[in-house]
Amino acid sequence: MSTLTQPKLPTSERFSQLFGKYIYIAVGIIIVILLIGRIIFVARQESYPLSYWTFQVINGLVLGGVYALVALGYTLVYGILFMINFAHGEVLMMGGFAGFFALQYMTSIGWANGTALQSTLTIVFMMLAGMIVSVITGIVLERLAYRPLRGAPRLVPLISAIGASFFLQYTALLVFGAVPHNYRKPSVIDGVWKLGDSGIIISYTGAFIFITSILMLLGLFIIVQRTKMGKAMRAVAEDKHIAALMGIDVNKVIVFTFALGSALAGAGGVMLGLHNTVIRFNTGFLPGLKAFTAAVLGGIGNVLGAMIGSLLLGLLEALGPSALGLPTEYKDVIAFSVLVLVLIFRPSGIVGEVLSEKKA
Amino acid sequence: MKTKLFTLMAVFVIAALVLTACGGGASDAGNTGDAGDAGDAGMQEPTFGGASLADFEGAAGFVVVAPGDPIRLGASAALTGPIPEFGLDIAQSYQLGVHDVNAAGGILGHELEIDIQDGACDGDAATVVANGFAADPSIVAVAGGTCTGETFGLQPILQQAMIPHVTSSATNPKVTSEDCTVCNRVALNDDLQASVVAPYMFNELGLTQIAVMHDNGDYGLGLAELVQGYFEAAGGTVVAFEGIQVGDTDFRAALTKIAASEPEAIYFGGYATEGGLIAAQMEEVGLGEAIFFSDDGVYGQAFIDAAGAAAEGAFVSFPIGDEAAELNEAFDAAYEEMFGIAPDDQGPFHAQAYDAIALLADAIGRAAVADDAGLGYLLIERAALIEAIRATESLQGLSGVLTCNAIGDCGAGGIQIFQVQDGAFVQVSGFGMD
Repeated sequence: MSTLTQPKLPTSERFSQLFGKYIYIAVGIIIVILLIGRIIFVARQESYPLSYWTFQVINGLVLGGVYALVALGYTLVYGILFMINFAHGEVLMMGGFAGFFALQYMTSIGWANGTALQSTLTIVFMMLAGMIVSVITGIVLERLAYRPLRGAPRLVPLISAIGASFFLQYTALLVFGAVPHNYRKPSVIDGVWKLGDSGIIISYTGAFIFITSILMLLGLFIIVQRTKMGKAMRAVAEDKHIAALMGIDVNKVIVFTFALGSALAGAGGVMLGLHNTVIRFNTGFLPGLKAFTAAVLGGIGNVLGAMIGSLLLGLLEALGPSALGLPTEYKDVIAFSVLVLVLIFRPSGIVGEVLSEKKA
Repeated sequence: MKTKLFTLMAVFVIAALVLTACGGGASDAGNTGDAGDAGDAGMQEPTFGGASLADFEGAAGFVVVAPGDPIRLGASAALTGPIPEFGLDIAQSYQLGVHDVNAAGGILGHELEIDIQDGACDGDAATVVANGFAADPSIVAVAGGTCTGETFGLQPILQQAMIPHVTSSATNPKVTSEDCTVCNRVALNDDLQASVVAPYMFNELGLTQIAVMHDNGDYGLGLAELVQGYFEAAGGTVVAFEGIQVGDTDFRAALTKIAASEPEAIYFGGYATEGGLIAAQMEEVGLGEAIFFSDDGVYGQAFIDAAGAAAEGAFVSFPIGDEAAELNEAFDAAYEEMFGIAPDDQGPFHAQAYDAIALLADAIGRAAVADDAGLGYLLIERAALIEAIRATESLQGLSGVLTCNAIGDCGAGGIQIFQVQDGAFVQVSGFGMD
């Protein structure tokens, strides 16, 4: 696009283009001023203590950490195949169920609430179970639902993804039932820190989730940027055909991408289960939708963008309602309004779509 | 190879289609054949008070049950959605109720049959269910729905089709009204629930500042507003009123905001899954000391399972009668034998659900007319059935003695308060506690 020279436009159209640009900026400035005004107004009226905001920031960061794990799956697949894997939320759900059954087994042999070491191993085992099942789900999904359609128009795999999403959701409904399955936290992460007199409380689970997601995101960053496989992924993202000519096994890279994204989603599913203590057949739907939003917010196809978008979305959901003096049930309205605003002014997201340099 | 497989599959599919089509056709033919045979054998056409069968067959306001055919009920139960445990409990109680009616000889020599559909605790899903029942001329009455929103979805369609329904657990006051002639319930309404709960919180528990939460549903929001009104009328203050979304699982942002207004208790209007998660997450935002108080949508084992250790000390209200202990024991035993689980471990509303079937069976028995010559035909006039339900008086049920009023409220018993103690609900006020 940028390499093409713009054709000369008639003066009137050039004027309207210029004018349109100014209107955008003017509207943007007005909205920002209104928002800031509202925030100042509310802050003076409500006067929440500092500990309250700290609290909400913690809530938002934990939520954002989980979103980030899921958002990366969307972004990686989009970056390489230019398709949205709408069944990704269900991959998360499958991981969550695997974690649940792993936890049940560990509880039955007494490890979940045993010594600190046994309890920690329980969590490791749950995470592994969740990741393995999700990876298998992701790979099977790619092989059966997406690969046969790789040459098809871009809408076709999208529909296939939506179908796969329903298939997985209702399979889980049939197999596991509609009844919510309740996680019992292993003893080592069951509890809270109370930070002195400040009134700030951090749950062990929240801290565990945030730290683990950051570590996993770092790990992913290293894989994509520093390893040979990561290099191959970036090459395939750039141009599948040229990459194939260079001796890269494109299918292998795509499967690896799905496996990587699914592993993160599986870990996210287990963490979500531990955090909210419940999992059921439609558990993946809402986090999947939110994570997709976060990926678009940050710039779909961009690993860094997904992380930033996710943390931002988590923070917006936690802080937004209080800052604007609205009931918390409007958190999604606020989050999605910000998404719309970002997309109006930066259509490619906050960071931009740059897993590769090339766009579809 | 691939094409061969495809052809084979196509053949199978077509064969399956043809076979099912034949099956349906055959059974239809059989049905009409029965009626024809009766005529051919020289037996007289059934008449009802002198009028012939043809006058009623296919007429919108009547159901004709042929000899040997069952009387068919529909049911909408929340088998999926936020409270699947409740829905399954209610559906199983319907089945047991129908089983017991049939074991006692059925209604005027006809068996009762029930077609249970998933209303999903949701108005949209219930609309589909209700349309299915309205399109089926053999459906005499409907049991359900489980949730208030679901019942609101059923009502306009059933009203138009003149199919009466009896809900056993939709408690919003608006479920029954003067405008709706087909609407009935055997549960107590939320106005009563709130008028018992709010003074209990203020007077007995000594709470003066509470936060009220709701799930934005017809049931939860309606009840939360009523509790707020009664609590303020009693002299207390509602320091926060916050909504959440059904299906969400992280309520920490809303709870953090509520914690800032330092309530002594949180009253939640909604269902067990969300209630359990709120109770479990309260400690993480510094509301560990606050009391969790909720409603009859939260009562039951599902809440204790979802909240875990945090359930301890939580209060809920639930309607229970004190007059039918022996009947309830017999029911519990039959239920456990039939479904392999004690009803209280499955969900709370089994007594009311069982009573809904008993009430419908009783009313159908009074409204149905046998043919003049005793050929085994049954005529049920829909308008007469609607009146018969409202005329129910002193019917002994599991939840108490049922008497319907002019707008279709037939609930018995009273609102009791329960508290979770050592992992089980223990009654702390109400009948026999003073």
